[in-house]
Amino acid sequence: MGNLELAGAFFALLMVLIFLRMPIGLAMLLCGIGGSVAVTGSTVPVMAQMKTMVFDTFSSYSLSIVPLFLLMGQFATRGGMSAALFKAAEAALGRLKGGVAMAAVGACAAFGAICGSSLATAATMGQVALPEMRKYGYSDALATGALAAGGTLGILIPPSIVLVIYAILAEQNIAKLFMAALIPGLLASLGYILAIAVAVRLKPSLLGTSVDGPPVRSGATAKDIALGVLPVLVIFFVVIGGISFGFFTPTEGAAVGAAATGIAAVTLGGMDWRSFVGALQETATATGMIFFIVLGAAFFNTFLGFSQLPQTASAWVGGLDVNPYWVLFAVLVCYLIFGCVMDSLSMILLTVPIFFPMMSELDFGLTPEEFALWFGIMVLVVVEVGLITPPVGMNLFVINSMAKGVPISTTYGGVMPFIITDVLRVGILIAFPAISLFLVRWLF
Amino acid sequence: MVSHVTRPKSAGPNGAGLFAPDLQVTVGSYVTVLAHLMALLGGLVLVAITILTVASVTGRSLIFMGLGPIRGDFELVEAGTAFAVFAFLPWCQLHRGHVTVDIAVVGFGPRVMAWLAFVGNVLLTLVAGLIFWRLLLGMADKQTYSETTFILQFPVWWSYLAASVGAGLFALVCAYTVWRSANEATGLGESAQGSGAH
Repeated sequence: MGNLELAGAFFALLMVLIFLRMPIGLAMLLCGIGGSVAVTGSTVPVMAQMKTMVFDTFSSYSLSIVPLFLLMGQFATRGGMSAALFKAAEAALGRLKGGVAMAAVGACAAFGAICGSSLATAATMGQVALPEMRKYGYSDALATGALAAGGTLGILIPPSIVLVIYAILAEQNIAKLFMAALIPGLLASLGYILAIAVAVRLKPSLLGTSVDGPPVRSGATAKDIALGVLPVLVIFFVVIGGISFGFFTPTEGAAVGAAATGIAAVTLGGMDWRSFVGALQETATATGMIFFIVLGAAFFNTFLGFSQLPQTASAWVGGLDVNPYWVLFAVLVCYLIFGCVMDSLSMILLTVPIFFPMMSELDFGLTPEEFALWFGIMVLVVVEVGLITPPVGMNLFVINSMAKGVPISTTYGGVMPFIITDVLRVGILIAFPAISLFLVRWLF
Repeated sequence: MVSHVTRPKSAGPNGAGLFAPDLQVTVGSYVTVLAHLMALLGGLVLVAITILTVASVTGRSLIFMGLGPIRGDFELVEAGTAFAVFAFLPWCQLHRGHVTVDIAVVGFGPRVMAWLAFVGNVLLTLVAGLIFWRLLLGMADKQTYSETTFILQFPVWWSYLAASVGAGLFALVCAYTVWRSANEATGLGESAQGSGAH
């Protein structure tokens, strides 16, 4: 077999293993080792490589940002900030039709500014906002759909773990990617709020009994709101601003953010030792999970490198005589389909090493760096859609498991309006690269 | 990222399965304590990295007052992160934290799921053992060549040694989960917290 056939065969094997429920990191690692042995015809190189590669991957300075952001998100989760943010958003939006659901989305967006994980955002805001929406009599579909969709703002709005991984794979500047994600992230929040406004007018039953229910009163005073929102705003601007203006490295920014969020959680949110240990444990699970996939991907990508598949794919696409937007469209549709069954991080790790060099061959009228940022934002958006598309949308499961007695099909239905805005947004981002690149061009 | 769903503390059904299930539960409680302590230690190292980095950034911004960044802070962050990640792996494995795609097999019921988990755990144990073994060899290499870090000049094999504690425990925990999933496969099927979340 030639190298390309080998790459294809091991890719197929990888898919089989993944669908046979092998842990994704393990499947990539095994196929990476197996493929390298097959291509080089010897176990010596891969065995020699293993002496240092695992340690090198885990001790990578650029990856050390991941556990720090996870820790920051855990402190935010346990620091009571979600409740304060929700109260503030409710005070601002609560009077509108569907306002409590809009407030949930708004609070998710704000929480996403200090949390880089979608599931953590969905779970944390769900605890606060779900009981509130039920209290006002909102339909289960709207309540769970809004929260599942709102959760994706955790990753769409920087900081974002998925974006960090993309930055490392595509060798791009994390600070610039964060800046590029900011306006699309705000656009996403706005889109979700509009989706609620439109959906409740087209289908008033989504509002459940809330129309006849008590008027929404958040009971928050101006002081409550300020105390709730200020720490989050300050931490966001220090961390993202500090990274963007080069005051510190992304890893240092994450450490500053974790420390500041930890202090806020202890002083304002009453985080105690028990809760602190819980935060460390959750960070441990999430970090272990992410780094194991990253390790598997490192082995698999070494094999792909041996097989020359990325170069061959790039050369092939570079020689195609088609409109580059069709290729982009095909790639994004691939992500959407894969996203229905796979998690975002695995998808990024598995596909970016092939798709990114391939797409870089095409001319979209952007500089190579601008293309890398723009492509990264679009990949980010489409993999996040995967978090809320049935049948396997992690956010849907997380919220649904919190809403006792709500069938998953109700949540599937409730999230549809939000998926529509996601698809529209991808179109807008493709048509206007400036939305993603404006801040980067202006600041750097 | 699957870990935010509530999860029962003890893993595995009590006293079911063909392979000394009661002993497995007892051993499991010790393994859990070890993995917990290891994860906690890793977490505290992560917090230490955070504090060190904040101190270094603060020092750097106060150079005009005669302060400065901490020398070799990057190297300490790298060594610390490696230790922490290796220390987190056993905990993650014990709590079924690894991402799997369940959709293709979920229809076959908890028993088949448990058998597939068993196969996965066997393979994972082999891989974890391999990683541990190669890490020790890597450490021996670093020792032989007396490799030191660039700025602080501390021997690189120290970091390998620290990391190998977590790597060793990871292999041990993986072996335990083989036992656990064998009992689940021959007993009541996989306990609920392993499926659904992915």
